[in-house]
Amino acid sequence: MSRWLAVVLGAAGVALGIAAYYAQINALNSPHAVAQVAVGWAYLVAGIIAWDRRPANRMGRLMVVTGFALLARQLRYSDNAFLFTVCFILGDLGYALVGHSALAYPTGRVKDRAERALVVAGYTAVLVFPLLAALFYGGTSPLLYFGRLSRNSLINVTDDGHVVELLQKAEVVVFFGVLATLFIVLIARRLWLATPRMRQILAPLLVAAVAAGLRAIFECVFTFVDAPFAADYLFWWQFVALFALPLALLAGLLQARLARAGVGDLVVEVEHAGPQELRDALARTLGDPTLEVAFWLPERETYADARGRPVELPGDGGRAVTYLDNDGEPLAAIVHDSSLLEEPKLVRAAGAAARLALENAQLQAETRAQLVQVKESRVRIVAAADEERKRIERDLHDGAQQRLAALALQLRTAQRRLGSGEADPAVEELLEAAVLELQAANEELRELVRGVYPAILTEEGLAAALESLALRNPFPIELDVLECRLPARIEATAYFVTCEGLANVVKHAHATKASVHIGRQNGELAVEIADDGVGGAVPLENSGLSGLSDRVEALGGRLHVVSPIGAGTRLLAEIPCE
Amino acid sequence: MCDDFHMAVTVVIVDDHQSFRTSARTLLELEGFDVVGEASDGARAVELAQELEPELVLLDIALPDMNGFEVAERLAGGPSKVILTSSRAQRDLGRRVRSSGALGFVPKDRLSGQELTALLEEGR
Repeated sequence: MSRWLAVVLGAAGVALGIAAYYAQINALNSPHAVAQVAVGWAYLVAGIIAWDRRPANRMGRLMVVTGFALLARQLRYSDNAFLFTVCFILGDLGYALVGHSALAYPTGRVKDRAERALVVAGYTAVLVFPLLAALFYGGTSPLLYFGRLSRNSLINVTDDGHVVELLQKAEVVVFFGVLATLFIVLIARRLWLATPRMRQILAPLLVAAVAAGLRAIFECVFTFVDAPFAADYLFWWQFVALFALPLALLAGLLQARLARAGVGDLVVEVEHAGPQELRDALARTLGDPTLEVAFWLPERETYADARGRPVELPGDGGRAVTYLDNDGEPLAAIVHDSSLLEEPKLVRAAGAAARLALENAQLQAETRAQLVQVKESRVRIVAAADEERKRIERDLHDGAQQRLAALALQLRTAQRRLGSGEADPAVEELLEAAVLELQAANEELRELVRGVYPAILTEEGLAAALESLALRNPFPIELDVLECRLPARIEATAYFVTCEGLANVVKHAHATKASVHIGRQNGELAVEIADDGVGGAVPLENSGLSGLSDRVEALGGRLHVVSPIGAGTRLLAEIPCE
Repeated sequence: MCDDFHMAVTVVIVDDHQSFRTSARTLLELEGFDVVGEASDGARAVELAQELEPELVLLDIALPDMNGFEVAERLAGGPSKVILTSSRAQRDLGRRVRSSGALGFVPKDRLSGQELTALLEEGR
């Protein structure tokens, strides 16, 4: 809006307001004259400001027209027949426009079908009834609000005071009774259906509902009840509400502008922000606590949240998505309250302000997503390795071990047969040697199979497997192992840690006894292998335990060694088991 | 070893490997046992034991349908004694060898008439 237009509109408004004031004062000397003009000016000023600040929004223009209509209405009190006729017929348009501008808030357009029908009905009522009244008004009977004044209707056809009174009362009943009630109902419905953020924006409509209610009561009391005191009292109440309404609408319209000003602060605020802080800052700036930011992960071609977990973007419903890109490459998506769709520029401005931080956060989200992937794949690798070990164990058991067992029996059968007849002693010796060799081979194979994956661990669990392990240890081991079954990968990890730990005790510790304690603590499986040996064990990363340390860490756990010289060694593993 | 003055001990051999059953039958028959039946799974083992009432069931632990411990538990209290066998060592099998009600355990590669007789004597 140009400055000239604003000046012209302002000057016209001032002139019209003065004319309106004097028209009413000269005719009725009404104490309400100033108030009527004040409401008109309030609309005009609010409208001009709104038009200037948000030129794309039609609200400003609508409010300017409403202001002029409200001021022009008062010219109907003029004794000029032309002004009276025109302003009497068109005067109530101002009130229809008040309703229209409220229902059009905040976009400037009435979108809802019921609301649109109400606006049309309002315009029709305020045009048809005065037009008909002007046809029947011959100047003899008094008009509503005109006191004892007599005016000259240029379109008078016949003079019938009863019909005029009936038409004027009918207008009050229809417009201020029925339509104003519907207006309040529709506003209540709109507020009821609104999302929380939209409800905040729609708050000025509460003022509109109050103004409509008070004005309706005032009109009905003035028209149908002979109580001048009550009518006067009500006039001032409805005046306050009607005066406040354009200011409330303007404040609501400028709120989005204020929010856009907050976008400037956002740049500073999010400069070093991580993904989570960035989300919080955007939620604050856009006034939507439910806002979520999803970051585009180019590698996986999907959106993820701040922690790198995949996110499903909403399709329909109360949520809306604004996509932000960087030179055509997707960058992030802001999932927000659908009311923000009314202000796409605001969301884009916030997105642009946060672009650097978003790129940063996208990288972080990507890194975290990769970390999640790596962690998951480590667990899968451990599980796959265990499965492979189990398969080898099964294959050896069902294949080689069975064949060797059958072979041992066949050799023994051969021995028996030879033993029953006259045999060559050399052959008997050879057979005996073969039997012993085979037994040794079987024993070695069993040892190998045990190391690959002990079947007892699968079948009987950790406690039984460790009992079996302890039986083979050269010195006594105190075992205290929890009895219940746990997921296979956790049992296997605890088992292999204990195996390797005990092997180290035997090899390096010069211990006389050792203990194994395995129990659950705070959602973790705590494995402790302790001995009374010489201590001073090599650091984890240089020992045979480094592979096991990887395995424990793959499951999200930790492995550490406490080994002061001369005071024994404790190997500790903590493995999450929930 | 049984001599001619004793009645031969009747045996049912239970194992899912044909080669082991055949070798075991040959050896045990040579050593004076009377192998009255063979089964390749747990269900058939229980059936045969009830039908033939052998003095001894030589029972492998790793069977396709159920494990040898379960079969031993079902046969416990019946007329047949159970001796468990496996290609694994006893200490690799845990506590169930003792708790299953079986008379004893012999590793597959050490199976012989002598071993079985010794376990039967012990259990008598």
